[in-house]
Amino acid sequence: MSSLADIFSLNLSPDTKLYLLLSTPQDINAMSLMVVKKILEVKCTPLVISLNQPCQVLAKSYAKEGISPDQYYVIDAVTHYSGGTCLPNAHTRYVNHPADLTSLGIAITEFLHQMPSPRKCIVFDSVSMLLIHIPSATASKFLQFVVNKLKISEVSGVFLCVENGLDPTILSQMSAFVDKIVNYDEQKNPLLSKHGL
Amino acid sequence: MVFDRIQTGILIIDPETHTIIDANNHAESLLSIKKDKLIGKICHDFVCPAHCGQCPITDLNTPLHNTERTLIAANGERIPILKTVAQASIGERTYLIESFVDIRDRKKAEKRRIALLAYLNESVLRIKKPLELTGENLRLIEQQVGSGDFTTEEIRMQIRLQFNNVKTMVETLQDLASKAAEERDDIPENFREFFIGK
Repeated sequence: MSSLADIFSLNLSPDTKLYLLLSTPQDINAMSLMVVKKILEVKCTPLVISLNQPCQVLAKSYAKEGISPDQYYVIDAVTHYSGGTCLPNAHTRYVNHPADLTSLGIAITEFLHQMPSPRKCIVFDSVSMLLIHIPSATASKFLQFVVNKLKISEVSGVFLCVENGLDPTILSQMSAFVDKIVNYDEQKNPLLSKHGL
Repeated sequence: MVFDRIQTGILIIDPETHTIIDANNHAESLLSIKKDKLIGKICHDFVCPAHCGQCPITDLNTPLHNTERTLIAANGERIPILKTVAQASIGERTYLIESFVDIRDRKKAEKRRIALLAYLNESVLRIKKPLELTGENLRLIEQQVGSGDFTTEEIRMQIRLQFNNVKTMVETLQDLASKAAEERDDIPENFREFFIGK
């Protein structure tokens, strides 16, 4: 496991880095917010793929942390799914359903082309929510597709997941195609994790 | 006579020519071939998938004791077996005594066990962890209601999202339970109907 500080001291370009961040369900939303803040701190533009919260809610959470809507891009796969209104916005794309992987893939490709910043980083929030909608085998193939796209485009990526929310097969596949796996809880409480608590 | 009454297949093989000298009733039955058509045949590629010159006993000197191997029946069916080969002297000659037990039922049970583990694994992945996440999201929504920072529509949308996710998880659980029940013939009919949801 790598240290969390290490992730965000990264030089995102030209070294493309891919991370799998694991946390408890209690921490995953705070971790998502913290990741976006850290990405902005290293002068990189985040593209948040949200399967967890509608973009309107994300925008309010980010605004509380001083992050303005023009600093990030969002692919929102849940607003339409939850019966909300998809408000047109140059920084937001909507996908009708979290299981619509084709549309999700197209939105990722198009946004990566469209984003003007030379330094981009996607935040996939989250692998655990994706698993609600599709079988683990399909999720694994899709994530591999996303990772390949990021590597080709030289874009960094952070995949969020609830710890122990991946079966050993997916975890070993993810380990093979991400650069580092980070356990948020271990980073939060290094002393406790050192003593196996 | 005794060998013809046991539930283990036995073949007696000449180690020099690899011809089958004798077979018991159970071997006949497993191989789906009469003894008179079995005797005199070469064991390679006939009852054993090893090729000529690669006999595990005489060529590769590999001891076989309750080792998992495959038996080729006359109809081409490959039967998983536990095989033991021992040498025995009959008169002045040495023969190979091959004995084998059919383990198809054991293999089937293993497959069922693996399928059940896969079912449990998929259930944890697609239901238990996302449910924990949903619980946490509901707690956050509760906080948002109290904060006054979020509009009624934003709260409604999030509750609807959690509701839809729970609905999907219930459908997934039903689907997984159905698949697990369909593949098992040891579940009583009425229970299977209950699991499948008919």
